[in-house]
Amino acid sequence: MKNFRIIEHTADIAVEVRAPDLEKLFLYSAEAWLNAVVYTEPATSGEMKEIKLESSSLEVLLVEFLGELNYLLNTKRWIYLNTEKISIKQNGKFKLTAVIKGTKLNGINVKLKNEIKAITFHQMNIERTESGFKTKIIFDI
Amino acid sequence: MKIQGIEINQLTDTLWEIPKQGGMLVPGRIYTSKNLLENTLQNDEAIKQVVNVAHLPGIQKYSLAMPDIHWGYGFPIGGVAATDLDEGVISPGGVGYDINCGVRLARTSLEFDTIRKRIPKLVENLFKNIPTGVGASGAIRKLSAKEIKKILEKGSQWAVEQGFGTDEDIIFTEEQGRLKNANPDAVSDRAIERGMDQAGTLGSGNHFLEVDVVEEIYDEEKAGIFGLFKGQIVILIHTGSRGLGYQVCDDYLKILVEAGNKYGFRLPDKQLACAPINSEEGRNYLGAMQAAANFAWNNRQVIMHLAKKTLKQTLGVSGSELDFHLIYDVCHNIAKIEEHNINGEKKKVCVHRKGATRAFPPGSEFIPQKYSSTGQPVLIPGDMGRYSYVLAGTEKAMEETFGSSCHGAGRVKSRHKALKIGKGRDLVAELKKEGIEIQARGYRTIAEEMSYAYKDVSDVVEVMHKAGISVKVAKVRPVGVIKG
Repeated sequence: MKNFRIIEHTADIAVEVRAPDLEKLFLYSAEAWLNAVVYTEPATSGEMKEIKLESSSLEVLLVEFLGELNYLLNTKRWIYLNTEKISIKQNGKFKLTAVIKGTKLNGINVKLKNEIKAITFHQMNIERTESGFKTKIIFDI
Repeated sequence: MKIQGIEINQLTDTLWEIPKQGGMLVPGRIYTSKNLLENTLQNDEAIKQVVNVAHLPGIQKYSLAMPDIHWGYGFPIGGVAATDLDEGVISPGGVGYDINCGVRLARTSLEFDTIRKRIPKLVENLFKNIPTGVGASGAIRKLSAKEIKKILEKGSQWAVEQGFGTDEDIIFTEEQGRLKNANPDAVSDRAIERGMDQAGTLGSGNHFLEVDVVEEIYDEEKAGIFGLFKGQIVILIHTGSRGLGYQVCDDYLKILVEAGNKYGFRLPDKQLACAPINSEEGRNYLGAMQAAANFAWNNRQVIMHLAKKTLKQTLGVSGSELDFHLIYDVCHNIAKIEEHNINGEKKKVCVHRKGATRAFPPGSEFIPQKYSSTGQPVLIPGDMGRYSYVLAGTEKAMEETFGSSCHGAGRVKSRHKALKIGKGRDLVAELKKEGIEIQARGYRTIAEEMSYAYKDVSDVVEVMHKAGISVKVAKVRPVGVIKG
C-alpha cells in the first residue's frame, strides 16, 4: 500500500501525505515524488549520498529536500530510490540530515513519466494530526 | 453573484469586478463571459487568487484576470498585476516557474494544398531534429557554463551570432529577444547546470511545435501586414526557459519566503512570496528572471532555425522559395518594467503577466515599425486538435489592462481524466482522420493533450475581441504537431 494519496488536480500532480512522525513524512513525500516521475520504481542496487539542509520552516525544508531529489534527477541524471537514514532536528532552524540511495540513469531500465518543474509551496502546510503529521504537496509539471 | 463565497459584480458583457474587501488594496477585475464564468470558474480557486493578488504591497488600479483565468500558484494563470517601483513588490508567483514561456509564429510562402502529401514526412523529420520530451537535451552541442551565461546576457542574439537565425528575427521578437538588465550573476550554478544541454529543446507537457495552415482571416488589412494569407503554411512554437527558468523561480521563491518575514508582509498564500522591487532580494530576482527570459528567447530562436532547416531539407526548397520569416515572438510569463497611465499620470510600474500576453497598440514605440499601423501581433495557442489565433494589440489594452491580453485555452480536465477518456482509443488515427499528423515521445502525452482536455480557445479569444482588448486577425489550424 502506498504511503500517500493522489488528489485530483486539473493541471499538475497533488498528493496528501500522512505519517506518524516528521522523518516518515519526509520519507513518504519522497516516495510520492518518485511515483510522480517514473512509471515503475527501478529495482536496482545503488550508491549512497548524504544530504544536509537547513531552513527556518518545515515547509521550506520539505520543498528543499524534494527539490534536491528533483535536481539530482534532472541535472545529474541520478535517480533517488529510497532513504536509508533521516533525522530532522530543530535548534532555532530546522536541520535535516539524510542518507539517500539512488543510481545513475544510464544503464538501468527505467522509463520517466513526468518532468517536475518544481515542488510548489501551494497549499503546503505541515500540520500535526492525532496520529502524527500530514501535508499536501503539489508538483508543478 | 457569489463564487466560492466571493462577491462578484457584472460591469459589462465582458467584465466583472470583485469589490475591495478585507486586506485587498485594490478591486479585482476579471474579463470573461457569463458562459465561461458559470462553466469554468464555479469550482476553481482562481477567483480567490485574484483576491489574494490584490493584497500585494504597491499594487496599482486592479488585480486583473484574463478570460483564460484558472488556478495557478500564487497568481492565477491569466493574472496581471502592476506594482509601484518605489513602494511595490515583485513576486516570482506573478511570473511562474516557466519564465518567459511564450509563443512564436513564423510564416512561409508555402500553400497547404501543394505540400499536403508531404506533411507526414515533414512531421517525422521535425520530430527527429528538435529534441522533445521529459529532460530533452542535445539540440545543439552541450554548452559550457560560460556560454550559458552569454545566452543569459544576450538572449536570442546569441543564437543569431551562432548562425541560428537572422538579424531580422531579432527585430520581430518582443524586446528584441533580450532584456538588457538581465543579471547572469544572480542565476544560481544549479540553474545554469539545469540549462546546459537544454538550449533549443522543446520539453514536455503542453509545449509544442505545430505546422499550421491559415484557415480564416478576420481582418484582411492587418493580416496582409503580418504577411498572412488563407491556405498558407505557418510554424507555431510554444516553449519557455526549460529547467533553467524553473530553477530560478524555485531558488528565489525560497529566498523570498524567508525575506517575507524580514519585511513583515502578511500575505494570504506562501506562493505569493515577494520582496520590495528596490530591495536586494527584489533586484536579484528581477535580474535573474530577466536572464532566464533571455534563455527562453534563445531557445525559441534555435528551435525555429532547426524547423526552418528541416522544412528546406524535407521539401527540397531553397531559402527564397520557402520565404521563411518570423511574424512575432511573445512571452506570456514575465514581469516587466513598463510605463503606464496610472490615474491620469504616466508612471513606471512592474507589470506581472502570469499567463498573459503583452498586447501593445498601433503606434507603440516598443513594437516593430512594420506593425505601427496594426498593433502588436498577439499569439494565442489553442489545443492541438482545433485551432490557434492571431490577434492584434489595441489602445484599450493600454487603458485597461496594462497592455495585456489572454494567453491560451487552459485545461478543463485533469491529465488523469484525459488519460481515462483516451484509454482504448487510437488517438493518433483519430487525429489523422481530422487531418492532423502527430509525433510525440509517448502515447500518454497525446492522450493528456487532446482537445477534450482543454477549453475552446475561441470562447477566450471572443471575450478579448468583444472587450476591444485585442482584435481578431486570423485563425490557424494544425496539420502537423510534435510534442514531448
